[in-house]
Amino acid sequence: MGKNSKKAAAPVAGPSKAPPPPEPEPQSSEEEEVDEQDGSGSDSDEENGGVDEEGMERLMNALGDDGLDDFDRMQLHLALGGDDSEDDEDEGDGQEDRSSAESVSEDGEEQNAEDDEDEDEDDLDDEGEEVPLDEVESVDADAVPRQKIEVDNTAALARIRETIQLDPTLPWTETLVLSYPETIDVDVDDDLNRELAFYKQALHSANAARALANKHDLPFTRPSDYFAEMVKSDSHMERIRQRLLDERAGIKKSEDKRREREGKKFGKQVQIEKLKERERSKKDMEERLKGLKRKRGDMLDKPSADDDDGFDIAVEDAIADRPSKRGRGAAPGGRGGAKMSRRGRDQKFGFGGAGKRSKSNTRQSTDDFSGSVGKRGGRGGFGRGGIRGHGGGRGGGTRRLGKSKRVAGRR
Amino acid sequence: MSSLLKAASKAKRKADAMDVDDVDAGDRPVKKRNKQRVLLLSSRGITHRMRHLMNDLEVLLPHVKKDSKLDSKSQLHLLPELADLNNCNNALYFEARRHEDLYLWAAKTPNGPSIKMHVQNVHTMDELKMTGNCLKGSRGLLSFDKAFDETEWGKLTKEVFTHIFGVPPTARKAKPFIDHVLTFSILDSKIWFRNFQIMEKDPLQPNGPPQTTLVEIGPRFVLTPIRIFEGAFGGATVFSNPEFISPTAVRSAIRREKGAKYGQRKDAEIESSRRKESRKRDEDALAVSKVFA
Repeated sequence: MGKNSKKAAAPVAGPSKAPPPPEPEPQSSEEEEVDEQDGSGSDSDEENGGVDEEGMERLMNALGDDGLDDFDRMQLHLALGGDDSEDDEDEGDGQEDRSSAESVSEDGEEQNAEDDEDEDEDDLDDEGEEVPLDEVESVDADAVPRQKIEVDNTAALARIRETIQLDPTLPWTETLVLSYPETIDVDVDDDLNRELAFYKQALHSANAARALANKHDLPFTRPSDYFAEMVKSDSHMERIRQRLLDERAGIKKSEDKRREREGKKFGKQVQIEKLKERERSKKDMEERLKGLKRKRGDMLDKPSADDDDGFDIAVEDAIADRPSKRGRGAAPGGRGGAKMSRRGRDQKFGFGGAGKRSKSNTRQSTDDFSGSVGKRGGRGGFGRGGIRGHGGGRGGGTRRLGKSKRVAGRR
Repeated sequence: MSSLLKAASKAKRKADAMDVDDVDAGDRPVKKRNKQRVLLLSSRGITHRMRHLMNDLEVLLPHVKKDSKLDSKSQLHLLPELADLNNCNNALYFEARRHEDLYLWAAKTPNGPSIKMHVQNVHTMDELKMTGNCLKGSRGLLSFDKAFDETEWGKLTKEVFTHIFGVPPTARKAKPFIDHVLTFSILDSKIWFRNFQIMEKDPLQPNGPPQTTLVEIGPRFVLTPIRIFEGAFGGATVFSNPEFISPTAVRSAIRREKGAKYGQRKDAEIESSRRKESRKRDEDALAVSKVFA
C-alpha cells in the first residue's frame, strides 16, 4: 500500500513544482519518508519531528489538495507549529548539540541527558516506520539511506569520565597503563599486517614499561629461579610443544617431498644432458678420425704392410686425444722423424731384387692363411676391414684395445 | 568535617571511596592506592567457548571475583547489588543471546557508567596456536593505542578498562613481576584485545644480547561498542554507535536474501499467469462451438 501511494505521488511531484535538484540531501530523504507515512495515514503525526517546516510546505504544494485530506492537513499544521521549538534541540545534528551542551551548566546537562532519553524513544518509534532499503522498489538517486541516530554526548561523557577518573597523582605503578603514540592504521582484513601492528604496539609498550619500571623501582623481569604457578598448566604447554614439533616435522616432510619431486624433474634434464654429451663426443670422434684420414690419406690409399702398426697408434692417439708417447724414432716412417739407417731401410723395404713381381700374389701366398694375410690390410687398412686381422695370430700388429677405448670407439 | 567533605564528594559523584582511598583527615598523609575489584559473571545460556573466555579472564586478572550465572537477562539492576555484596566496584557481565551472540557489559558498579559491547572473534587461551605463558596473577601492562584519546567515548572506555583490566598492586593474588601486556587497539571502530608474553631473551639465541620479544598468550577477541550508559547497567545513553548492526539483523538479512529468490519466483509465476489471463481472447463469433451448435 505504501508503495502504491508513493508511486502515485511521485509523478505529481515531478512536473508541478519541479524541486531544484541541488537540494540538501537529508531533506529529500525525509520527504520520501513522509510520503510513505501519508500513504499509511493513521500515524503520520508521530514522525513530524524529522521534517522541517520548509520541506513540509514544499511537500504539501507538491501533493496538492488530493494528496492530503483536511484532517491530515490540520494535524500537520498543528504538529509543525508545536514542534518547532523542540526541533531545534532534538534534530540539531550532534555538532550543535555539543557546542551548546558544553556551555551549559550542570543543570543544563541533566536536561540534556533527559533529552537524549526522549530521543531514544523517538528512535525506537522510528524503527517501526522505516522501510529497509532492500524492500523499496525504486530509490531516488539522491535519497540518502537513513542512518541510526547517533548519540554522542561528549559533554556527558567527559563529565562521567571525570567522576570516575583515578587520581592523576597516582604513581604509574598503581595502574601500569601505557599509551601507544600511534594509531593502528592498517587494513582490517589483512591479518598479517594487523597482527604485526598489534605486536608493534605491545612491543613498544613493553619497552616503555621497562624504562618506567626502572624509574619507579618496580621489579620487572622475573628472575630465573622464581617459580610459581603459571597461567597455562605444564600439560597444556607440553601439548603446545608437541604441536610445534609436529608442525615442524610436517614442514620438513613436505619439504623433502618437494625436493624429491624437483630432483626427479631435474634428473630428466641431467639425462638429456648426458645424451647430448654423448652425441657430441661421437661427432667429435668422427671428426678426429676424418682428420686423421685426410692427413694420412695417401697411406690409406695404398696401405703398406709395415705402416699399419703406426697408423693404429695414431688412431689410438687421436681417440685418446693425446699426443703419442712412443718415441718418434721408433715410429717407422714417422714424418719428420730421424731416418732409419740405410741398412734398416733396405732390410725393410728391400733393395733391388725382384722388384715389381715380388709384390704380386703367388699361389703360395694366396693359400697361406697363417698371418701374412693381415699384412695386406691390417685393421685400419680400409676402415674396419680387419676381420681377419682380429683372428690372425700376429705378434706385433693390431693389439686389441682396452675396454674403454673400444667402447668409446663404438660410439 | 571529613564526613562533610566525603558527603560533598559523593554528591558530586567524585571518585568513590572504593576507587581511591582519599586522604583521610588531611593531617596524616596516607599513600594513595588504586583499589579495584571486579565482579565477573555471565548470564545463563553461554556456550563453552564463552565460558572458556571468561575463565581466561579470571585467570589473568587476580582481582576478579567470579560469581555464578545470573538467572535473568531482564533484571540487570541486580548486578550492582551483587557487586556490592562481593565488595566489588566494577563488573564484567557476559550476556549470551540465542546461544551464539555474546555481549559484554563493562561497568563501574555503584553509579556508572556502563559500556555495552558486542564480542566477536573469540579465541581462548586453550588454543594451541598461542604459545606464550605467564605467571598466574602477574600484573599485566595495559597498552592503549592513540585512537582511544581521540574520541570522548574512547577516553571513557580507556578509563573504565584501566580500572577493570589493570591489576592493582594490592590485589591479594598478584605476583610481583611483569611478564605480559594486554593491548587494546581501536581499528575499524572496534576494540581489539590481545595478550602478549614479554620475553627478555630471544629463545632462538639464549646467549645473545637481551632483546625483548613477544609471544601471544591469548585470549583474543574483538569488542564492538554498542552503547555507553550513564548509570550502572542502565540510565541514559550517552553514546551509541551508529555503525553497529546487531548480529540478528545481519543474520536476518542473509536469510531474507535467501528468501528473496523464492519470492521472486512466486511473483514471476503470478505475473505470468495474470498476463496469460489478460491476453486470452474472448470467444470469437465464428468459433467452432458457436457455428456448429
